[in-house]
Formats: sequence, C-alpha cells, structure tokens
Amino acid sequence: MKILLVEDDTDIAGHVSHALAIAGHDVDSAGDGLQGLSRALSGEYAALILDRMLPGLDGLSLMKQLRIKGVETPILLLTTMAGIDDRVAGLEAGADDYLVKPFAFAELVARVNAMTRRADIIGRAAATKLTAADLEMDLIARTVHRAGHAIDLQAQEFRLLEYLMRNAGRAVTRAMLLEHVWKLNFDPRTNIVETHMSRLRAKLDRQNAKDLIHTIRGTGYILRAD
Amino acid sequence: MRIRLIHTEGFRISAIFVAIFALSAAILAVSVLVIVDQEFRDQIVQFANADIAAVKDGYQTDGENEAREVIKQRMSAPGASDFFLLQRNGRRLAGNLAPMPPRIGILTLPYPGARPPHEILGTATFLAPDLYLFSGSDLYHARLARQHILRVLVWVFAGAVMLAILSGVLVSRGFLSRTDAIARACGAIMQGNLKARVPVRGTQDELDRLSQAINAMLDRIAALMENVRQVTNDIAHDLRTPVSHLRHRLEHARLHATATADYDKALETAITASDEILALFTALLRIAQIEGGARRAGFASIELADFLHQLRDIFGPVADDARHTLTLSILQDASIRGDRELLVQLFSNLIENAIVHTPGGTRIEIVLQVEKNVVTVSVRDNGPGVPQEEHARLFQPLYRREASRSRPGYGLGLALVSAIAELHDAKIRVESMDGGGFCLSVSVPMASPARSG
Repeated sequence: MKILLVEDDTDIAGHVSHALAIAGHDVDSAGDGLQGLSRALSGEYAALILDRMLPGLDGLSLMKQLRIKGVETPILLLTTMAGIDDRVAGLEAGADDYLVKPFAFAELVARVNAMTRRADIIGRAAATKLTAADLEMDLIARTVHRAGHAIDLQAQEFRLLEYLMRNAGRAVTRAMLLEHVWKLNFDPRTNIVETHMSRLRAKLDRQNAKDLIHTIRGTGYILRAD
Repeated sequence: MRIRLIHTEGFRISAIFVAIFALSAAILAVSVLVIVDQEFRDQIVQFANADIAAVKDGYQTDGENEAREVIKQRMSAPGASDFFLLQRNGRRLAGNLAPMPPRIGILTLPYPGARPPHEILGTATFLAPDLYLFSGSDLYHARLARQHILRVLVWVFAGAVMLAILSGVLVSRGFLSRTDAIARACGAIMQGNLKARVPVRGTQDELDRLSQAINAMLDRIAALMENVRQVTNDIAHDLRTPVSHLRHRLEHARLHATATADYDKALETAITASDEILALFTALLRIAQIEGGARRAGFASIELADFLHQLRDIFGPVADDARHTLTLSILQDASIRGDRELLVQLFSNLIENAIVHTPGGTRIEIVLQVEKNVVTVSVRDNGPGVPQEEHARLFQPLYRREASRSRPGYGLGLALVSAIAELHDAKIRVESMDGGGFCLSVSVPMASPARSG
C-alpha cells in the first residue's frame, strides 16, 4: 500500500518509513505541511500519517484543507500532546486515528493497517454478518456460532470479538482494544485486556482444538485461521 | 496628582453637577431679581396713587390751600411718597421738586443732583386744568435691595460651588486612593510578589466587589502557579529514580552481557522502563491539565446506573481473576453532569486501587445512592484499610504508602481522582470501615433537568 508520511523530524521520519517498509508498505515522505498538502491532494495514497506540528502548514490545518477538497484518505495524526482535548480536536478536524509520540512502531503499523482496512469496509456498507474461518457473527441477532455451535458471550466479550473479526488477519494492539472495545483512553493498571481475552478464548476454543486468536508478543493480538 | 484628579470619574461627575447647579441658581437669581424689582415699582406706584388721591380729596373739599397742607403732611409721613410737586403754569406751588413740563400717568424722572445718578418713579395728574400734581419715590431703595439680594445670592452660589468642588475632590481622591491600591497590588504581583492582594473595605460597594473579583482571580492564578511549581518539582525529584534505574540496567548490560539474548533482555527492560517514565509524564501532565479546569465545556448528562454497570462489566472479570468479588448496588439511579471520559478514569482508578491494594478474597462493592439531591458513588472494600492518619496524604501527587511501594505505580492515581473530582465540584470522603476495610466516596450535586449546556 502507498502511504504518505508528513513529518519534519527526519530522525523519526526515517524510523517510521523503515518500519512501514518492513511491514510491506510503500512510503513517500514530505518534510513540511505545504509539500505534504500538495502530495496528499494527488489522492494516490491509501493512508496519510501526519505530524501535528509541521513547518509551513500545521497538521490540523492540512487535514481540514484535505477534507474540504474532498480527499477522504484515512489519516493517522501523530502528536506529542497527550491531552484529551488535543485528541478530540484532532479527531474532529478529520483524523481517523491518533497516536501520541513516542510510540512503538508495532502500534503504528497496526493502526495504519486497521485504518486502511476500515476504509475498505465503509465502501461495503454496513455488514450484518461477520465471518472468519468457521466463526460466524450475526450483528443483528447478536449471536456467535463456531462450526455451527452457538457460543454464549457476555456483552464485553461480544464487542471484543466483533473488533477482532472486523480486523481479522491484522494485528490489533492493547491500546486499540482499550480504546475501541472499552472506550478507555488511558492505560489501566489491571489486566483488563488479558482478562477479557482469556475468557473469550476459553469460550471460542471449548469445542474446537484450533486457536483462532493468537498473541503477538510485544504487539497485541490477531484473529486468524491457520 | 492634580491633573490625575481632574481625570477621575468622581471629579467629572461632580463637575457636571456643579454646572447644573450653577445654571439653575442663575435662573433662580434672575427670576428673584425681576420679581423683587417689579414688586418695588408696584409699591411705589401704589403709594403715589394713594398720595394723589389724598391731595385730590383735600383740593376738592377745601381748595388749593388744603392741597398744599396735605402735601406738606404727606412729605414727612411714613408710608408715603418721598417727592411731591404741585405746579401751575410752570410755577411751583408746593413740594420738593423743581417745576417741569407736565406729563401725566406713570413717570420716571431723573433724581436732581444725585450721585451716582438714580431715578424717581411716580404718577402725575391734573387736579384742575392748570393745576398739575406729581407724587413719587426714589428708586434708589429698590436698587439697594436688588444689590443686596444679588450679593447674598452670589455668596450662597460661591459657597455651594466651593462645597461641590470640595466634595468632588474628596470623592475623587477616595476613588483614586482605592484604584491606586488596586494598581499597587497589581504592580506588586508583576514584581513577583504573588501573595499581594487588593484591599477590601467590607462595604460591598462597587469597588469592593471589583476588588473581590480581582482577588478571587489572583487566588486562582496563584493556585495554578503553585500547581505548576509543585508538578515541576515532583517531576524533577521523581524522575531521577526511574531514569537512574534505567541507566543502571543499561550499564549493567554493557558490562556483563555476553550473548545477544542478554542484550535483547536488557533492551526490553530498558524500553519498559522508559515507557514507565513516559507514563509518569503523561499522568502528571494530565493532572495539571485537569486542574487547569478547561474541560467543563465538554460536560454532558450521565446516567450513573448505566455508567457504573459498564464499569462493573469491564472490571468484574478482572476482579474475579485476582480472586476478589466486585458487586454493584444501585440504591437509587441518578444523572449528573460531567465529562464521561474523565469520570471513567476516576472510577476506574478507585476500582483498580481496590483490586491492586487488597489481598485475594476481598469483597469490593460499588454503591450508588442519592440523599437530598446529592449523588454519592462509593467504592468500598473489606480489605486491611488505610490508617486514619494517612488519609489526607493519600491525595498528594506522588505519595505512596509504604505498604504499596513494591507494587507498580507512581502514586498519581488519587491525585488524578482528586483533580477530576474538583473539576466536577465533587467532594471526596475517605472512611475506614468498621472491622477494617476502606471506603472512598465521591459526592456530586444531582443534575437538575432544567439545567442545560
């Protein structure tokens, strides 16, 4: 996938480009806001990664300009500011996701992947059923079946599984799960993710030997049939 | 000083009042003078008419000699005219005026030989076709009276203007001295004395209210400054520890690592350590930001029963895994106004504290109750509790109980709780339960349905 990185810190830009290249992406870089805007306007990118503080044109203004001009490319905003208001301002200005520096590269890659995936899904309208391997989720009846057997899930487990299935085949991080499944925008001191994940796994794998949810060390989890 | 005085509002208002007063006083003075003058003239004419009637009466009864007699009497009588003239064919028969060309009616004549020149007012008539009579009085008295009145008015006027200016100056100086006090306090603060405050008289007048508002603002600014100072100090102090740990580990790896695996392990712990340092920064910044109080705009109505059920669903399994039980009791549902995200963090902190700081088997209970429009959410446990004397210190940033120093964390959880509670005007109460255990309650006024925004 072609990704545009707009970042004035050449050190960070180099590391990020490298990490994305390893993850199989084709990365273009721009060092200031105006250059970033003119490149992004071409519309040839699958995702944009924008630093919030940029020379020439800051990240928020750049995003607003793009959205006004009808460019709907998914945007991941990078920032050094951890404030709640900053995140809200970023999302309201049109960012699809938000990452506070410093971040783990695995986190960045997972978020970029999830973001481009999300853009695909929006095109396919709202699905009422999700499937992955022998797992089937009915979003309207709120039921889950594995190989034909009904699995009884608590509300939290259902939402966790739904998020994993929507991102099937892609890694999701702990922070992504906390934000999207439990709406927690801070780092809890207890093992919320691990606890709920182990319960979900136990229920999914009761009748079947094959694991669907895999732990990726240092990154998070992935739902994958293999 | 003098020029500043003239530019004060008090002085300006006094000046306007003086001008209005002067104008009305002038109108009054002119009216009084005109009326008094008219009154004098009327009286002189009345006297003259009465005298002429008396002389005429005498003449008609007893002839010319009687008329002369009456004039003689009248000239020395009080309450009669000063001047008379009875003449025939340009020759004076009686009176004290020189003969003159006969004109009848109300006349004004020059006073013969008077210094300064003044006038005689009177009436004239013919007693017989050749017998001419004039009777009149000196207008000098009227003029004296007029001058007298004018003098009194001028003095009164001058006195009033002086008084008005004086009171204007006094009021302005009072005002100036108080505004100067405000300016001095502001100056002192600019010089760096953040404890300076504007003096308040306690009279509740407009300047007092202004002073109180300024003082309240200064208190807030001082609190924020103190907060920033505190946080800066805390960061400086407490960052040394994790950073030096990190350094030791890295140094240790350089000295003792022999295989790639050793380096890997060292790097991993180093990354974890730096993450912890960053988390400390984030938490401190977050507290400072919340204490700045800029987030009230994001307040919305929150249904607490639903809100707490969600938290119970999130943390229930976590508590179970730690062999605790987490229960929720809704005694009465209520809504409050608040920032959902911050409140989630507040109650998550309380629940996590209860889970992390108590031994397995502890019962943790979340209770929602309403009393007299005050909503209280308590998180209580039957664990070992916290000694009374430590309760106050629990909310200080970076305070950690001796017993919990071995556990992860920086002692910022309750400082954050306290900051979020303050933003919501909520009161926090800490209690030790009977027979051990700990209870932390957050009380907020209930959101009234009428309030919006």
